[in-house]
Amino acid sequence: MKYAIAIILVAVTAGLMVVGLFVTAQAGGTIGIAKGSALHTAKASTPDQALNNLLADVQRRNWDRAFANVVSTGGITEPAFIQDWIGSNGSVRSFSSLEGFEVRPLHETNDEAQMRVHLHFSSPVGPIEDVRDFHLVREGDLWKAVWPKVEIPSVPAQVIPVTYLRWDLVTGSAGDEWGAKNVDSPHVRIISMNAVDSAQGSVVMGEVTNEDTVPAFVTVNATLVDGAGNAIDEESSFDKIAHVLLPKQVTPYRIDFPNLSLKNVKNVHMDVKATLVPASADPVIGVMNQKIETDSQGKSVLHGDLLNQSGETVNIPHVIVSFYDNSGKVVWVSDGYVDRALLPQSTEAFAVEIPKSLAPSIHNFHVVVNQYSLNNS
Amino acid sequence: MTTAAENPYSRPIPLLAIVLVALAVHGPLLLMELPSSSFDANFHMFFASHYAHHWFNPWNEKWFAGFSQTTYPPLTHQWIALISNLVGLKMAYMLVQLIAILLLPVGVYRFAKIWVDDRAASYAALGVVFLGSLTFLVYQAGQLATVASAALYLNALPYLYQWMTESSGRSLVKGLAVTLSAAAAHHVTLIFGVVFFAGPVLWTAILDARDERVAASTSGVLLRAAVFGLLSIVGVAIVLLPYWLALIQHPIHQIPIPHDSRANFLLNSITAINYFVIPYGALIIALPFILVRGASCPRWRPLLYGFWLALIFGLGGTTPLPRWLLGRAYEVLTFERFTFWATLLAMPLVGILAIDLLDRFRAKAAVGLALAAVATIGGALFWLNANPFRPTATAKVEPVDAFLNRDGHDAYRYITLGFASELAKVSTYTDAGSVDGDYNSARLLPEMTNYGSAQLTNAKFYGTAGMSALRAMLEHANRYGLKFIFVHDPYYEPLLTFAGWRKIETFNNGDVTAWAKDDVPPAHRIASDAIPPAWQGLMWGILPIGVSFVAIFLSLFMRDTRRVPVGIPLRSETREHHIVA
Repeated sequence: MKYAIAIILVAVTAGLMVVGLFVTAQAGGTIGIAKGSALHTAKASTPDQALNNLLADVQRRNWDRAFANVVSTGGITEPAFIQDWIGSNGSVRSFSSLEGFEVRPLHETNDEAQMRVHLHFSSPVGPIEDVRDFHLVREGDLWKAVWPKVEIPSVPAQVIPVTYLRWDLVTGSAGDEWGAKNVDSPHVRIISMNAVDSAQGSVVMGEVTNEDTVPAFVTVNATLVDGAGNAIDEESSFDKIAHVLLPKQVTPYRIDFPNLSLKNVKNVHMDVKATLVPASADPVIGVMNQKIETDSQGKSVLHGDLLNQSGETVNIPHVIVSFYDNSGKVVWVSDGYVDRALLPQSTEAFAVEIPKSLAPSIHNFHVVVNQYSLNNS
Repeated sequence: MTTAAENPYSRPIPLLAIVLVALAVHGPLLLMELPSSSFDANFHMFFASHYAHHWFNPWNEKWFAGFSQTTYPPLTHQWIALISNLVGLKMAYMLVQLIAILLLPVGVYRFAKIWVDDRAASYAALGVVFLGSLTFLVYQAGQLATVASAALYLNALPYLYQWMTESSGRSLVKGLAVTLSAAAAHHVTLIFGVVFFAGPVLWTAILDARDERVAASTSGVLLRAAVFGLLSIVGVAIVLLPYWLALIQHPIHQIPIPHDSRANFLLNSITAINYFVIPYGALIIALPFILVRGASCPRWRPLLYGFWLALIFGLGGTTPLPRWLLGRAYEVLTFERFTFWATLLAMPLVGILAIDLLDRFRAKAAVGLALAAVATIGGALFWLNANPFRPTATAKVEPVDAFLNRDGHDAYRYITLGFASELAKVSTYTDAGSVDGDYNSARLLPEMTNYGSAQLTNAKFYGTAGMSALRAMLEHANRYGLKFIFVHDPYYEPLLTFAGWRKIETFNNGDVTAWAKDDVPPAHRIASDAIPPAWQGLMWGILPIGVSFVAIFLSLFMRDTRRVPVGIPLRSETREHHIVA
């Protein structure tokens, strides 16, 4: 009897653990915490399983195992493979971690397969979605992903003279507050405002300009007011604005009110606040080759290139775009972070999505580039 | 019969000696303040600090723009608050933790005696001092309340057994007082203890009555169990009434927060080490014996089943059973405590293993057992530094507190980023309030409850959910008067830069930076329906600590009628000849 009960308990435990392997797989496990090696990994006997194993190892940053699951065609090394995933130069990608992925087959034969993967990254500036196609080949019983050689950008040694304007600030007080409170605020003005309903709620957007001769730190807040004069909600432009405006500079702004319809809104109170701050025109980032296209997934996207004209690395470029209709009215404001760093005197492509319904009515657009540099944070 | 002269291990170890061993092992570690960098120690000290300043007002404005401390049973915190007046907050925490640890072998000894004789019980009690799970909870997790409550609960259960089988009124009174004290220390332990601890005790009492090992009848045992259960329910309902009212008013509806103890250990080696290998230590080797020996005697089977169930629960997401049985509660609970309970439940059987080995191998066995015990606690202590997810004293928080406490900065709210459990330390020593906090169940702000992440200070570890929660909070900075952000991890700096915060000061040679947003108005009190009325504050300040005083008084001045229990067969049905000399 004693052995029977013990055996039953062991058998039930083992059975539950086997069932647990499937239940846990469906639940997805913990995010951002799980690390270490899996004591159980399914054999890469199919392209789907091979890619899942590879991406799971990338997720856990088990680089040796991940690299063992790829076939190098261009002589890629493990450090280059790792850098391809984790980015470099303090870019968004270097702060990101792969949070999830969905694998979809595109084409498959006995020895080769083409798979499309939707990659979901978490990053400090929000979730980043990426779509990547993988080519897999069969080696014996196992499938492996083919990894092409990665071109790592490099910049030749050079001297870049800095001739751009810079505004310093002498506050006269040694307080810990930034900005200057003992002088008049810079004169900034909202030059356009448009409120629309969107799929996620209502959106207030437009443009604001610094009309002064000194730089300004700008925040725009909006309050939705109902028919009785009561405030329904108050939100701010948050990161959908370039907060530091040089003299005469214009920035788009967008304020989202999630899950709120404009049906009950009678009025919108706008509030723009400006503070005098030190600022520099450097780094100057040029915007080139802008065009609206439809991408492989059928989405309307504004593509273009950013050119860093200065000698300083821009670690995280942020593109904010105002879209105008025929009458010059701002009909949408969209933004996007570029996941690679913008090295001095080099270019990086950017893409900003436009709602499909608005794409036909867009006549013009204005791109503003905001930036984060590790040296200037 | 083997005499003491022939076998020096043939007698029970005196309980006082075991308590002194516990004091010798854990006293120095606590005096070195080793648990102060554990995950939850700062949380407990933060709660205690509030009681030290506002004993009868459980509404604490320092976290979540205001929350009620009636959402967590207060006993350990109130004891820390009381003792802190003499020795300071941190040492008070260590002393209360030490008391809990000293009570634990006493509880295990008395609990084990329900099933085994004095000798096996004494080895069980000695073994608990060296448990990896205890070391894990005390020095890594900082789960003071869990340890204290388990210790009290184990001390209460022998009274329950005595009441059920002997109808002893004294046992009823003392059992109730200690049970209510256990509930006042930690509610989760009490709720699950009914299944894992009280269940086997009741089952055993029924078996003893059925087999006439005790004078009581089966129906009598059941009746008295019902009386004890009913009185306990009423008592716990009264003593923790503000807690239940808070829970009814605001049930935990927040999005589940990931916790590694819910992971599948087979899919993650580090998690398996952290939550299985370290807590069990050398007990892993004893598992086959526990199973076979526990099953060998019908009287031990309730204990075995309780152990097995706790073991399965302690495996978290490795098996689906906890998810199936607990439903939504599965996503709220953490499961390392179940492993602790499993090891406690195993100790009576481990005590039998110990005396079996000592009877057979004597000095060799003593050396082997001692090495196993030391290796178990040593491994758990080693793991404090080897664990890649160890809690570390991340940042020096004194400059942060100094900043918040000067020039009217406490008129605004703040958050920390990358401070881990040091967040609670910052909060303890400043008057400024935060919208963040280190206690998930008390959160009511939608910016936090709508996302599957815990503290904002650890947002990045929860991926998109964590960063979305942080983003939502920063978007509403003006609403909450959230002006200052202290950063101990450059990961967050891009978001702050793009969202309009500016670096204004650096501390500790740039280790910590202070960021501010200029247009944020001063913080104002956030209206909440969770503020407890004054009568609840009075109840909260009197009853939980009151029942603990009553329990101490009864333990000291109301003597037991006789030692519990007697006449229990130690050996299994099928005796093994080598055991008996």
